[in-house]
Amino acid sequence: MDRLKLIPLIVLSALLVFIINADAGAQEEAPADTAEIVKPAPPQNVRVVDNPNDNGHYLLIRWDPSPDEGKGDNDVMGYNIYRSDKPDGEYRQMGTMPVGFYEYEDGSEEEVLAGEKNLEYMEIGETYYYKLTSVTPQDVESEFTEPVSGVPTADWFHAGKLSYFIALFLYISLVLYFIKAAKSGQKLYIRPLGGIEAIDNAIGRATEMGRPILFVLGTGTASDIATIAGYTILGRVARKTAEYQIPVLVPVNEPVMMSVAQETVRNAYIEAGRPDLYDEKNIPYVTAMQFPYVAAVNGIMIREKTATNFYMGLFHAEALLLAETGATTGAIQISGTDQPSQLPFFIAATDFTLIGEELYAASAYLSGQPLLLGPLKAQDYAKALLIVIMVIGLITMTIGWSFWYDLFSTNIT
Amino acid sequence: MGISGDIWVWIGAFLTFSIMSFLYKDNPFYKFAEHLFVGVSAAYWMCMGIWQTLVPNLIAKLHPPVVSEILPAASTKPAEYSYIIPLVLGIMFLMRLSPKGAWISRWALAFIVGTTAGSYLTRYLRSDFLGQIQYSIIPLISIEDGSFSFVGTISNIIIFLGVFCGLIYFFFSKEHKGTFGVASKVGIYILMITFGAGFGYTVMARISLLVGRMQFIFGDWLGIISR
Amino acid sequence: MKKSLPLGIVFFAGVVMFFQHFIPTDQSEFIYKYANDWLICIGVYAMLLGIWSLIRVTLHKARHDPNERFYAIVTLVSMGIMIVAGWDVDNLRAGSLFMNMFNYILIPVQATIFSLLAFYVASAAYRAFRARTVLATLLLFTAFVVMLRMIPLGYISELNQYLVAWILSVPNLAAKRAIIMGVGLGMMATSIKIILGIERQYLGGD
Repeated sequence: MDRLKLIPLIVLSALLVFIINADAGAQEEAPADTAEIVKPAPPQNVRVVDNPNDNGHYLLIRWDPSPDEGKGDNDVMGYNIYRSDKPDGEYRQMGTMPVGFYEYEDGSEEEVLAGEKNLEYMEIGETYYYKLTSVTPQDVESEFTEPVSGVPTADWFHAGKLSYFIALFLYISLVLYFIKAAKSGQKLYIRPLGGIEAIDNAIGRATEMGRPILFVLGTGTASDIATIAGYTILGRVARKTAEYQIPVLVPVNEPVMMSVAQETVRNAYIEAGRPDLYDEKNIPYVTAMQFPYVAAVNGIMIREKTATNFYMGLFHAEALLLAETGATTGAIQISGTDQPSQLPFFIAATDFTLIGEELYAASAYLSGQPLLLGPLKAQDYAKALLIVIMVIGLITMTIGWSFWYDLFSTNIT
Repeated sequence: MGISGDIWVWIGAFLTFSIMSFLYKDNPFYKFAEHLFVGVSAAYWMCMGIWQTLVPNLIAKLHPPVVSEILPAASTKPAEYSYIIPLVLGIMFLMRLSPKGAWISRWALAFIVGTTAGSYLTRYLRSDFLGQIQYSIIPLISIEDGSFSFVGTISNIIIFLGVFCGLIYFFFSKEHKGTFGVASKVGIYILMITFGAGFGYTVMARISLLVGRMQFIFGDWLGIISR
Repeated sequence: MKKSLPLGIVFFAGVVMFFQHFIPTDQSEFIYKYANDWLICIGVYAMLLGIWSLIRVTLHKARHDPNERFYAIVTLVSMGIMIVAGWDVDNLRAGSLFMNMFNYILIPVQATIFSLLAFYVASAAYRAFRARTVLATLLLFTAFVVMLRMIPLGYISELNQYLVAWILSVPNLAAKRAIIMGVGLGMMATSIKIILGIERQYLGGD
């Protein structure tokens, strides 16, 4: 509320006080000073600092409460914050904070808002001046405090994210170390994964039956990590199908994904020495809408009588619709996704399921490249570290120390 | 009330039955609905992509006056020439159609994949990962309202063992034998309990979807029940 | 050149997006906002490629497969009508042919297919039941306990509600955490492999 609006309010309340007192005055003489408006004391010790870890369009204004807070007639209800770009310029009210809050974030990065100049906008590096007042429940405002200035500045590093940065840096180093180890020919033991054998057997079955293989990359985007893991597995499957001369059908629901899947399969056929067998029509775009896609893929399963169905990627509610239809056709089905909500359905309806991280691991296995296996070792070390963190947590929390818990706090503004 | 006179509602009802018939077996009605559905949805998606994405996010940015009739607010803004980049990348992507230019489309693909990989690297750690670690830091003995809680303590032990064994299950560089194998086995058992809970929890939501369809048939179409 | 330039773009884009997360300045926010806008725009271009693929495959079916001819024509005609109906932005308003086709063809079919899940959940449960493995049994038993909460059974229900709440908040949460942590580590490792150009299957392998 600006000061202009306060004037009629003050006049009105003064009038009210006058009438009440005039009425009381009929019985007894009122003391002269009760009709006067008592202004509360302004807030104290106003400070203006740069808002940390931001793009330089915000300032923080802090103050100590007015000594009149909680005192009878001139009790303070809140604080008004005024800003100007000159110490003795015109001050504009930017906001009000109720009692109990002694910090206000002022500013905006939007220079223009809905076609008009945004008055809250703050320029990086400019000096802004602030004056504060306290206000009583009767809207009586105190005198202004002396102007205090501040300069908003942009930060080149978000200090609050330092812990993430360090954690990531360590993890990246660990991954790089094992990639290097794998590169230098160091033998890294990786246990045999159940899913790999299942994948090879399933391809074998389709060849025995001479029927096509269906490969579904899910309904994520082309660059989701699960989809990318799916491409690698598709590459391996396609290579085998090229060798055994059975078609692999890859209906896709995202055009970028379609292009990648086509490239992947084409290259697999070239590597297998059978580029002549590659048919782009086997890897069509169907539609981007989830359930029309399901309808079409279900149709393919039934009409093409696919012997083996793969579901590798990011899946939503279509997971069960596809997997159940596939199960009724008697196809061997191998699934893998990193979506915990769809895993139950894949586990119930398919013959083998790669759970979460196993999907990525299987993709690294099947790539046949040692470089891709190296990071699996890093993932294991990180898991071991997580276990250590939990054990330390269990001990410290049982004793009653919370520092370890606080260390992993995620509250970042 | 009474049976609907709206031709569109009849079409909706016919398609609903056509799709439902798939539960019995594949048949020409289903096949018809499926093919209709694919055609309509592919076109729908493309039209929406053009009008809701390409026009406001690309054309309006490059040459605002063009959209003065449909997006008056955007048409008065100055042009942003940085949007030439997606224009060029998009055209590069379409080069796939020509056998000779296919390799150029990889540049656009590289941009898409690189950008997402870079953001995945940081996003996952922040949104889920650290929070899960913090929640897994729990005391062995649970004290509730100042006194020892037996159930709380058992729960804490199970949470700890659950996360512990679950992580062991996902170890790839160590053979799952001996004690390690036992832990891994416990891990997969606990995973199955989780999947079972997810399964059971979803059933209700799925049944309510079916109820919604029944309401369409008996309410909107036949008018036997009121919605 | 054909191979190394795309890998260079991946590396550059990945590293920029990584550091962008830790830099709060306007320039950094600009990159974030624009990179995402650009991705969406490229996606629409790709849509044209998708439609082209769909038309080509469907036309091929219509020409060469007499059994599929009728259905291929259904797809082509319905797609054609929808594209013509959505040609003008005015047709995106309620009551137009475009919106009617959306509301009375797409929506009911979408909802019906989704509702088929009610049947599929049951048949999947039966399939798991027949599998008779320890793991499947454990899954089904838990699912059964959780489903029981929807059936009023007096005293048993009360006990069951307590049990379900416990399952959801204790073992369920524990295993979910293990999955999320594993997936997180795997995702980050894969992202690193992509940025470094070690994982390059999506560019068509080596």
